[in-house]
Amino acid sequence: MFCLDTYLRESEDYQIHMSRAGFKDCARFIEDKAHEVVHVKPGEKIVGARIIGVPPVPIGINDEKGTIMLPYTKPCYGTAVVEMPVPSEERDKIREKNIG
Amino acid sequence: MKKALILLGCPESPAQTPLAIYTTYRLTEMGYLVTVASTPSAKKLLEVADPDEHYVKTKMDLETCLDGLEEGQYDFLVGFVHKDAAVSYFVTFYHILNCKSLALVFHRDPEKLEYFKKTVQENTEAETVSARAYHNPTPIRVRLDRSLEKLEEL
Repeated sequence: MFCLDTYLRESEDYQIHMSRAGFKDCARFIEDKAHEVVHVKPGEKIVGARIIGVPPVPIGINDEKGTIMLPYTKPCYGTAVVEMPVPSEERDKIREKNIG
Repeated sequence: MKKALILLGCPESPAQTPLAIYTTYRLTEMGYLVTVASTPSAKKLLEVADPDEHYVKTKMDLETCLDGLEEGQYDFLVGFVHKDAAVSYFVTFYHILNCKSLALVFHRDPEKLEYFKKTVQENTEAETVSARAYHNPTPIRVRLDRSLEKLEEL
């Protein structure tokens, strides 16, 4: 099973679009830049990790690139926007959690 | 026994550690079994300040706590909200636990304080107490006491 924290520790195949930012700015970036945006409840497990944020939390999906873009928050470092490749079944699982 | 979870943020605010110990003490006196969830560095500060675990008996890593968190695990959530990330964490814990909750919002910058308070209030039904505070824990402690007294009367 795909695990976000392990992936970010062990892979270099991801892109950080924003870092040490506020959640609101990261959410706006995803809304503006992502091809497709799915909204989920805070606390939902997305690619193996609980998503942290203020509802509704946007997740960007790009099927052409095979990536997702999500807010990634750590207590001392604020929120980052991370884009990384995930398998298509993980992208479908995220779509199933859409709250509109 | 009722269970309370205290959620700590980044330990860079000097008021957080003494307030965490004080809140644990107050909730324990009220009959709660208290768990404090924090980052490893915030945990170290608690360990040095309370070496015999006289006050803080149960400490948990924040990420481990979040990973296993389920509705019904705790009866009361208290969150320390003094950074943008702490707002996100508190709102997330609130929505998973869906229990009675209290946000202690503090910052030295009045604009940030207002923004954190407003975001918590717009996205949860938690009780919110707020004060300008950084080094001095007293303004938030006074408001915490009032809030807990109200809670005891219910």
